[in-house]
Amino acid sequence: MRKQPMNRISEKGLRVWRLYGIMQTILVLLLAAGAGVLTYIFEWSWGIYAIAAGVVLIYAYLFIVLFPKIRWLRWRYEVRESEIELQHGLFIVKRTLIPMVRVQHVDTSQGPILRKYNLAGITISTAATNHTIPALVMEEADELRSRISVLARVAEDDV
Amino acid sequence: MSEERYKLHWITALIEVLKTLKEMIFPLIVLIFANGFQDSGTGKWYWDYLSFIILGVLIIVFFITGIIKWKRFVYWFEDDELRIEYGLFVKKKRYIPFHRIQSLDYTEGILHRPLKLVKVKVETAGGADISKSDAELTAITKEAAKRIEEKMAESKQRKIHKIDDFDEFEPVAEPSQKLKAVYKMDRKDLLVLATTSGGIGLILSGVLIFLVQFAEFIPFDKMYVEISEFIKYGVIIVVIVVLLGLLVIWGVSVLMTFLGYYGFTVELDKEDLVISRGLIEKKRVTVPLNRVQSVRIIENPFRQLFGYANVVIDNAGGGLGDSARINLLPLVKKTDINGPLKAIFPDLVVEEPTRKVPSRGKRYYYRIDFLWMAPVIGALAYFFFPYGLFSLLLIPVIVLWGLFQHRSAAFETFGNQLTMRFRGISLQTAYMMKNRIQSMEIKQNYFHRKKNVAIVSARVKSGMGVFNAQVSYIEEKDANEILDWYEPSVEKKVESNLIVDDILE
Repeated sequence: MRKQPMNRISEKGLRVWRLYGIMQTILVLLLAAGAGVLTYIFEWSWGIYAIAAGVVLIYAYLFIVLFPKIRWLRWRYEVRESEIELQHGLFIVKRTLIPMVRVQHVDTSQGPILRKYNLAGITISTAATNHTIPALVMEEADELRSRISVLARVAEDDV
Repeated sequence: MSEERYKLHWITALIEVLKTLKEMIFPLIVLIFANGFQDSGTGKWYWDYLSFIILGVLIIVFFITGIIKWKRFVYWFEDDELRIEYGLFVKKKRYIPFHRIQSLDYTEGILHRPLKLVKVKVETAGGADISKSDAELTAITKEAAKRIEEKMAESKQRKIHKIDDFDEFEPVAEPSQKLKAVYKMDRKDLLVLATTSGGIGLILSGVLIFLVQFAEFIPFDKMYVEISEFIKYGVIIVVIVVLLGLLVIWGVSVLMTFLGYYGFTVELDKEDLVISRGLIEKKRVTVPLNRVQSVRIIENPFRQLFGYANVVIDNAGGGLGDSARINLLPLVKKTDINGPLKAIFPDLVVEEPTRKVPSRGKRYYYRIDFLWMAPVIGALAYFFFPYGLFSLLLIPVIVLWGLFQHRSAAFETFGNQLTMRFRGISLQTAYMMKNRIQSMEIKQNYFHRKKNVAIVSARVKSGMGVFNAQVSYIEEKDANEILDWYEPSVEKKVESNLIVDDILE
């Protein structure tokens, strides 16, 4: 059995994912509220209130509590001298191996929410594929980006 | 230093106009028909024929722009670069260094051939900026095309001489390259290719549908003999017409294939593959061998039945579609596949992979399909009650197909080569070298983990996109083994161990 990659992403990433979950839940809540209003106006069955409430609660539990937790626990990465290894996935666990020689460029990116938490994502691009490590502490991300780019430059090969 | 500037042939203007017309065909047709809805004349002739007038003006405008575009397009050679200047309103310049040019692809259309002209597409190693790195010379004489090739060869030689610090520079005209033909398609192959490519499937399904329709009419017989006679007669006519229609479609597909693939030849240069084909429109594509990313043998079920396959290569660079995925051998007997492939790729081990997947992974090949199947069957059974139950037949079909896919799955590594065999509908065997695989991945969900099976996938570059070769539900330890095989540091470790062993001995 292969060892799991060593590093985890930032714990603050979990908080960011929860925040995303909360936003989505608010959307669902609005939809549920809409359904509730329609039910009230057209005097549909009472069951619809219960169903709407249930959906919102389950959605909130899954997307605010459970899924971010699993995803965060699952997410691991390791940057070694000659390759990068990633492990992620909610239901399907994916383990990806990217040789350093194949890496063409590395980007860090940061949206407004990530910036608030001083986080950044790293995207590693090969000639054909892109791989993203989602939430690293800003300094760590910068450091990793320059490290990968140095390692990728050292490792030379044709396309 | 000003070099001689070359123009394209004047037919370019015409080709340009025709191309614009072709692109505008729907708006133009709408324009023509818009006029047809006016019943009677309003008395003013220019009102009655307004759309035709607009059409005429448009065509004249197209012609003028076509001519201006042609007038403005010049190309020349300077500083080991192909330089092009063009543009209708905005003058654009594109300089392509010769060493960046990967290949020149030639196409001779109907308009080109009587004038001994050729369309040249300059393919560069596709970089970050996608479509606009290539250039197209719409129509130049064959001599002019030859001149470009000579200039390129000349510059290449100059470069070599510069590096070697040669003082005397003699422009040796490179001996015209000897091309070695490795694969040719004869007429019989063409016919088989045409019949087995999609078109025939259409006909078979058509026939099947009509047989089913016939069956439904049978109970009618007993009740209303006369009416049924009449209906049957009508049905027969309809069936005959439809069959004829399908036959025509098939004929057209055969014809198209015949025209497109006529004289299909693969030739081998020192470092390039040269593929030429076509009867009316002749195409010649050059693929540098070192840009080939993977070799794939594809057998669609129909061809597999007769022992035929086709071979496709993925080409780095080039755009999407055609130039990315190149049909190397459109049709070849499975038993004869080794000949041409060995000639082109001497290092490739063209053997069937032998390592199979465990039988405990079988269920996963069809289990996920039940997710969409159950509601579909449920809905069909509910809404079309008695007949909808026939949709239950989907279940054995899906299960059998899953088992079929399971049987097809296999993999093997030979040195630096990974072979993967898998089936969607067609059976594919992908041959990939380690240094062409961009990344690899193992996937497992909860159930797979419990049964120790995993999905392994390898991604190779295919034009601007990516081709994903994937074998499902292999032994977990085999999956890890493949990942170890792919992992550079594991490889290094093995090497250093060997060195240590050597020293110890």
